[in-house]
Amino acid sequence: MSEASPIHHAALGDRIAGAVLALLALGAWWHSHTFVTGFMQPVGPGVFPRLVSVPLGVLSLYLIARPGINQRWPEKAALVRQLGMLLLLGCYAVVLEPLGFVPATLVATVLLMRLFGARWRQALPYGALLGLSLYLLFEFALGIPLPDTPGWSG
Amino acid sequence: MDILDFLVHGFAVALQPEHLLLALIGCTVGTLVGALPGLGPVNGVALMIPLAFNFGLAPTAALILLVSVYYGCMYGGRISSIVLNIPGDEPAMMTTLDGYPMARAGRGGEALGLSAVASFAGATIATIGLTLFAPLLVKVAIRFGPAEYFALFMLAFATIGGVTSGSFTKSFIAACLGLLLGTVGIDPVSSVARYTFGWYELYDGIDYLVALIGLFAISECLLFLERDQRQDAAPVRLGSAAPGMRRSLDCASSIGRGSLIGFIAGVLPGAGASLGSFLSYSLEKRRWGAEGDFGRGDPRGVAAPEAGNNAAAGGALIPMLSLGIPGSGTTAILLALLLSMNITPGPLLFEQQPDMVWGLVAALFIGNVMLLVLNIPLVGLFAKVLQAPSWFLMPMVVLVAFVGIYSLNNSPFDLYMMLAFGVLGYVLRKLEIPTVPVVLGLLLGGQMEFNLRRALSITGGDWSILWSSGISIGIYAFAATLLCAGLIYALLVKRRLG
Repeated sequence: MSEASPIHHAALGDRIAGAVLALLALGAWWHSHTFVTGFMQPVGPGVFPRLVSVPLGVLSLYLIARPGINQRWPEKAALVRQLGMLLLLGCYAVVLEPLGFVPATLVATVLLMRLFGARWRQALPYGALLGLSLYLLFEFALGIPLPDTPGWSG
Repeated sequence: MDILDFLVHGFAVALQPEHLLLALIGCTVGTLVGALPGLGPVNGVALMIPLAFNFGLAPTAALILLVSVYYGCMYGGRISSIVLNIPGDEPAMMTTLDGYPMARAGRGGEALGLSAVASFAGATIATIGLTLFAPLLVKVAIRFGPAEYFALFMLAFATIGGVTSGSFTKSFIAACLGLLLGTVGIDPVSSVARYTFGWYELYDGIDYLVALIGLFAISECLLFLERDQRQDAAPVRLGSAAPGMRRSLDCASSIGRGSLIGFIAGVLPGAGASLGSFLSYSLEKRRWGAEGDFGRGDPRGVAAPEAGNNAAAGGALIPMLSLGIPGSGTTAILLALLLSMNITPGPLLFEQQPDMVWGLVAALFIGNVMLLVLNIPLVGLFAKVLQAPSWFLMPMVVLVAFVGIYSLNNSPFDLYMMLAFGVLGYVLRKLEIPTVPVVLGLLLGGQMEFNLRRALSITGGDWSILWSSGISIGIYAFAATLLCAGLIYALLVKRRLG
């Protein structure tokens, strides 16, 4: 009975998703009544969202009642790496404009490569290489202005 | 012949040096991306879109570049299937079954050569099909009114269940979710802000490209982080490709059958390349039965699915170009590109922009020849790329996605949005809820609602217009038939498995 436990978890995942989606459908239905226009139209702005939220809600309830299969959810170590990637990329997006493209990207590429399993002696040179070649590609070959580093106007 | 004139004209467009160069770049990049495990045509084409925008390419040129990437990916997908036993993309899955055993037996070069010829044949047959059938479909579609278009969108969503071969419930949930996401932003008819919750960044709606790259590329990287990382591929001796090309003559009938089935699977909305290669392989296996050596390195088991998936890729362009309804994830992205450039595919496109349509068709023929030529001598080089470590490739994908998306609007908000869609895509994939219908919903929602409103404004709110013409009733009947066929097929599969 080695398959018993993933199937049990799978059902749970579908049930949670079904509940979230059913709530979303309900919210979308309810919120669509606030879309009011001054003039009369045969189909107002709220009609189509309501038309979509009905099947979404019904199918979500069906998913709660009859959940299917899911893939295996990640283990702790993988989850930490995934959260690390999201955090890293989120921070990268935050500092991209204040710090400028080159420094932000160099740090981001090196850390990303570490996250994907490179050693420091691999990540440092290749990260720098990737970051700089992207900069050259976008800034010069494609002619797209990327954020400058303050105080380093070229 | 009308079509022949148009095609000659199209070749004049496609043979311009700029377009030839773009086709060559597209084919090379596409083959590389397709060859890399985990990065299929969807990601390849999605990542190229911001680049195409940034190059400042004209719509025709951008379309030629992206379609070359698309065809290139379909060619490239087989390389890692054969060399590493890891499908480069989903449609190449069937190719592992006989391709990898051939490579293990030292016939890797033969398998690669044979599959290159099979891919070429499949793609060429499909492109000929596109040339012949798209104008016919356009002739019918030109008479469609808003009610018929609405029916057509219903058909696309009804057949979505077949794409994903997973659960029908989940496919439709995904489609509804996409349609709902598509309503976010200022309503173009009444100028009312819908579901924006005061965020002015959402007033223009959810950017297709941001959503696409998040759903596909970012979620792919998240999934990748779960795998065992220190896994290095053992190099396989390939041998020469030449015997494979001769072998393709023996397999000509398998290639022909595979191409035909693949083409039909591609044209049907929502079926796509995976189904094409699956059906082609199954048919070959059943056709030869015990005579064949399927699963242990039968060349016909490489030829048929490769012809099938490349033919499906070409077939999928027919509904996208002539009706504006994509049949697969990748054609959905091509549609996103066109919509972002303010071009609406459909029958009018053929009338108003014949240069673009026929230039594209001609570019497909040229790209196919390029791919065949590239794939014979360079296949060893492509196979080498597979040995590039993932710690370099995946960060590169993330970075290209990041810089590409940022450069569209110079807005960090788009980056947060992309990450959010990445998480959404990841969770959906874990739940086995397909992401392609979400994209289709997001893309087609606006047009679907627009046509619904136009139809109802003609009658002043009488809903019966939606099913009052013969054409729309026919479309609904066709949708119902496909839906039932899909349900019955799913039941049969379930019974056989359980």
